[in-house]
Amino acid sequence: MTQLIRKATTFEIINHWLLAISFFLLAITGFGFLFRLEWMASIFGSFNSMKTIHNWSGVVFIISLFGTTFYYLPVSLSWSKDDMEWLKKAGGYLSKNVKVPPQDIINAGQKLFYLFLLIFGIVISASGFVIWLMPGVRQWVLISHLLHNIAFDLLVIAIPLHIYLGTLANPGTFRIMVYGTVPVEWARKRHGKWVQRLGY
Amino acid sequence: MARKALLISPELCIGCRACQTACKSWNQLPATKTVNQGTYENPPDLTPYLYNRIRYVEVPSETNMVRWLFVSQRCMHCDDAGCMRICPAPGALFKTKEGAVAFNKDKCIGCKLCVAGCPFDVPRYDEKDKISKCHLCSDRIAEGLSPACAKTCPTGAIAYGDRDELMAMAKKAGYEKLYGEADLGGLGVLYAFKDAPKLYGMIERPEIPETVLFWHKVLKPLSYIGLAGAVAAAALHYIAIGPKKDEGGEES
Repeated sequence: MTQLIRKATTFEIINHWLLAISFFLLAITGFGFLFRLEWMASIFGSFNSMKTIHNWSGVVFIISLFGTTFYYLPVSLSWSKDDMEWLKKAGGYLSKNVKVPPQDIINAGQKLFYLFLLIFGIVISASGFVIWLMPGVRQWVLISHLLHNIAFDLLVIAIPLHIYLGTLANPGTFRIMVYGTVPVEWARKRHGKWVQRLGY
Repeated sequence: MARKALLISPELCIGCRACQTACKSWNQLPATKTVNQGTYENPPDLTPYLYNRIRYVEVPSETNMVRWLFVSQRCMHCDDAGCMRICPAPGALFKTKEGAVAFNKDKCIGCKLCVAGCPFDVPRYDEKDKISKCHLCSDRIAEGLSPACAKTCPTGAIAYGDRDELMAMAKKAGYEKLYGEADLGGLGVLYAFKDAPKLYGMIERPEIPETVLFWHKVLKPLSYIGLAGAVAAAALHYIAIGPKKDEGGEES
């Protein structure tokens, strides 16, 4: 029987899904507003109700983004030679013959992605709240509108890649966000340092 | 249909403000209580219930005690309207066939982005958080009437008609360059100024904010190009290089 070890806590999984669902709602309603999609608005009722859903999803988004800091921020800020080496080898994603150095509970790419998400998640939330709560304050709204859209463009590039890497590109990864557990042998190959620290 | 416009001639204006009253009357806008601020100018600014007003500008003069300039202030009905570019709710702001920038309160979602997009600080919001501004009496002009302000103006300081004809008329009267001739694709409200527009309290060179143009031209298309690019890159990686599988094959 395969021995399983816990990689994600229940709270972490729920938090991740809140973040994912709120992001999904925000992104599609965001596209709805950006391109004034009548059919999208009709799914959500109207442009008015779509705005309400967009705004309050933003509240869920920033709260769950804050929730992630307990799990991923400290480790994302700790960098070692192995992390740099992993990045130089592009995580072994560009060739089957590359051996990458052992990684912590999340690898260097995940660390970078997390920091990216945190920064632009904060930018898109903060600018969104300015547009929502300081309407008509021209200079603030203009700069926020710009930042909101820059962050949006970056996130709709980064998130699909994150979804790909967490599902199709790495079989066995998605179950972390369902069960929170992974087989020891699977983890040893991908998160060697972490598994070693746990004493397996 | 030929684009319609207003031609404002401050030289002809006597500051009677009949235009303000006629506008309120036609558009059924309530009066607002204001206080005396030591000037005939009243109310002090556009409000959700005041679509147009006369700005009273007092300029020091050598020949008179003061030179009094009266300038009709309202939505400029830009050809390239910043409010319409930035508005996320289709139909909330729209162009009539005469070229007026009109609005539909039912479609407005109250986000106030148009306030940020307007170079002239025109859009106002009523107590229900809906857009409120001059719409060039779109309901009147659709029937071939002139806007209430132009209809009531006793001196012709506010003239309504075909934009080209109004421009020709002003040129004939000796105004070489009209304010709003070419700004923002050409304004729907033209001004025949004798002096620098600044003297009349106008912005010298009105422009849609740079950030709005950049967003419109670059960030907007980049959003779906970026998304499609990311999905395509993932698909390409999956086909060309493939997923990371454990040696010996693993169930997942």
